[in-house]
Amino acid sequence: MLKDIITPQKALFADGMQTVLRGHENRSRRVVLLKGNLVQNGRSSSRGISARVTKNGRYGFSSAASYTEEDAQAVLRAATENAAFLDARAQSAGRSYPALAGTKALPLRPIVDVEQKRFIDLCHTVDEYVVAHCPKLTSRTVVYTEDSQDKIIVSSDAASGHVSYPRCYLYVMMTAESKAGVPVELFKAFGGGGSFEDHFIDLEPLYRGVDELYGRLMDKAEGVWAEAGVKTVILGGMMGGMLAHEAVGHTVEADLVLGGSVAGPNLHKRVASDLVTLVDYAHTAFGETVPLPVYLDDEGTLAQDVTLIQNGILTGYMNNRETAQHFGMTPAGNARAWTYADEPLIRMRNTAILPGKDSLSDMIASIDDGYYLIDSSNGQADLTGEFMFGVSLGYEIKKGKLGRALLDTTVSGIAFEMLKTVDMVSDRVTWSSSGFCGKKQPMPVGMAGPEMRLKISIGGR
Amino acid sequence: MASIQNTALKLSSLLKAAGISKFALSLTESEKRELNTEHVNFSLYRTLFDRSASVTAYLDGRKGSASGNDLTDEGLLQLVEDAKAGALSSGPDEANDIAPRQEPQVFEHGPLNPDMEGFYDRLAELIDTVSKEYPLIRLGQIIGSHTRTHRLYLNSNGTCFEKLDGRYDAMLEFAGNDGDRTTGLAYGSVTISGLKKPILEYGSLRRQLSETEKSLTTVPVGDKFEGTVIFTPDALGQFIWMLLDNYVSDGVIMNGTSRWLKCLGEQVVSPKLTLRMVTEDPRLAVTSSYTGDGYRAEDVTILDQGVLRSFLLNLYAAKKTGQAVTKNDGSRLIMEPGDTALSDMIRRVSRGLIVGGFSGGEPGVNGEFSGVAKNSFYVENGEVKGAVMETMISGNLTDVFSNVTAVSKELVSDGTFAFPWMAAEGVTVSGK
Repeated sequence: MLKDIITPQKALFADGMQTVLRGHENRSRRVVLLKGNLVQNGRSSSRGISARVTKNGRYGFSSAASYTEEDAQAVLRAATENAAFLDARAQSAGRSYPALAGTKALPLRPIVDVEQKRFIDLCHTVDEYVVAHCPKLTSRTVVYTEDSQDKIIVSSDAASGHVSYPRCYLYVMMTAESKAGVPVELFKAFGGGGSFEDHFIDLEPLYRGVDELYGRLMDKAEGVWAEAGVKTVILGGMMGGMLAHEAVGHTVEADLVLGGSVAGPNLHKRVASDLVTLVDYAHTAFGETVPLPVYLDDEGTLAQDVTLIQNGILTGYMNNRETAQHFGMTPAGNARAWTYADEPLIRMRNTAILPGKDSLSDMIASIDDGYYLIDSSNGQADLTGEFMFGVSLGYEIKKGKLGRALLDTTVSGIAFEMLKTVDMVSDRVTWSSSGFCGKKQPMPVGMAGPEMRLKISIGGR
Repeated sequence: MASIQNTALKLSSLLKAAGISKFALSLTESEKRELNTEHVNFSLYRTLFDRSASVTAYLDGRKGSASGNDLTDEGLLQLVEDAKAGALSSGPDEANDIAPRQEPQVFEHGPLNPDMEGFYDRLAELIDTVSKEYPLIRLGQIIGSHTRTHRLYLNSNGTCFEKLDGRYDAMLEFAGNDGDRTTGLAYGSVTISGLKKPILEYGSLRRQLSETEKSLTTVPVGDKFEGTVIFTPDALGQFIWMLLDNYVSDGVIMNGTSRWLKCLGEQVVSPKLTLRMVTEDPRLAVTSSYTGDGYRAEDVTILDQGVLRSFLLNLYAAKKTGQAVTKNDGSRLIMEPGDTALSDMIRRVSRGLIVGGFSGGEPGVNGEFSGVAKNSFYVENGEVKGAVMETMISGNLTDVFSNVTAVSKELVSDGTFAFPWMAAEGVTVSGK
């Protein structure tokens, strides 16, 4: 973990400037077995210091790829010069942001270093299990990946603290051939927030997951194309989480609202059925710590939850200090940076659609002709809320019962229109946290959703 | 601070002292100056000093890698120990190897010293021009940067390459907005080697801005039909990358899932298509000098009038599959222009789309794709009728590149690639 050489530098912060100095280390470990061949075996780390200095609302930023007191002082100087460069050329008067609450004790999640051999051994062990138990595969890949951020954040007029974000995953990817001789694929991620030993000591749950994945891939190999058109479907929890993040979450990031997103004119208006409530959780949800808890952001804002949709009404945006002032909202800790060289951007944290009261079995039984769409390979959306998700795993529903598996297809629509068709919501949520959100910088994010019954356009072949 | 050459020598000595006689290392130092605007105002100026080192150790056919940016003596020693530990933890594989000895060479390209005052003025000019000439465009963020990079590659066979390069990049994020309606977010970017011309005169920027304004008014596509799609150079770039990933890249050749596995020398796509990876070209602002494996980069033709001439294989994948290593990382791509004017291509479409972008996932190994046509226009009887919304395209990558009816004379370069427009028939278009 980082040694604190940052806090003593606070004495050097310039008067009349809003300053944040950050010591920041990223580490990653990665092992890839492709058909049993070790094709990647690496570990990396990067450590540095950045300073952001704000003069009349204009930001100067500088970073250095080393971690000494001299570097801290150098980046403070450069960031101050950069802020002055912009301020001198500005056409209009800027303004400063209100000071925020100060420091409080924050939980620090340990980042545990594990020797590379254990990652390789784990991959081989799981690969051997796959070979022994999944005989009809044409290809397989096992990937171990781990990343962490360790940050010491010191601010002039907000909170300061030491925070850390470790996470690790094992991916199993399988390829088989369909009855038509065409390759079909599925993958699954195991793991979550925390370190190796939090997830990969008892492998029995992982093996059960591999068995389930293989069974579903065999179903898919016998699968059929979905019939194109607008259908009644049950969107699985993983897809509900992706919808929450991609199709709604990005449109309510305040910088994108200012960029013209569909959420701008819809604040305080109905955008979903009253069964839909959407929250960006900081660190605790449903009485438990979320997969990727955030306690303090990189502007020195203590993290709180943000309710974005309450019973179908759009109620808020995610902000940094600047946009919060613009919209008259409260900053809640969404300004985050990925490496020491990155400036904080407005990012989601753990974005979830809340559970309802229906059971999944009742939801399936309620559909005469539709689909249960369980998992997605990818998803994209834009400022209008128009989205497209690839569906990698799904089943037909015929007369209230699950039918044949589906081959790869896509669903698309306009989020705020589609969410108004939600008329059943399951009583559980499924979290996922293995991905990176991309927005100038990558960022680990968590997302969750319940199963939802709704109407959606499905692409067929 | 030690020079990059001295750090390389120090790392080399540490590796040998650790008993590692076979190794490769790479070092990078960079300085980036970046101006950011938010909604027409300059909001952020960043100066980034970066450096990193990467070491790969080979011990009896076993391989381990480590990278980091702590270049103190202790940090370098830790890198060597991590790479050695990684190698000792892995199993032997005779495909683990390094490039043979080649003559040492130093490359230099592009503007190494930035003119930030001049760049600020060019960016301010861009904002001013957009507000005057494209009144329905709402600018989101503009990121303009100059990056100077110094790289060094060294391996234990005696190959040593060094490269110094500089480049300006400008990225625009924008949407059409007329007060009531908004389009999806659009992006444009260019890489340039100097500031002689206004930024807006490079690449597709003017066309993208104009088309985004026109996208505010949409027309219904109606039913589902099979038609002709004209891919803009930007959209064609997306599909070319998907094609390379699916059929010629390391992973799909090694695991045997590529459908072109046994097709070297055979016609795999339309004879109208020639695709090359170049080292340098006057149409590009950047160059490719050596590969990550330590090979001096060479021009490589992937598709020659539709015939597959090369896979895209690194050294490990090449040795693993018994194929030739590809001496180009594939980062500088050019598709040769055709003989049809873009206006004629549009005139010949009886029913179809001009697709400006594709919002969809990477197709599976079977090549089937399906996704939303972004920044796209409906064409009927040779006339552009208007922009489309909620319209999907689907098909198969191989079919698309096989069913090419025309390639444009016009070629667009964003500084890193150069592609024409390409028309292909038989693509399924589904409106709402």
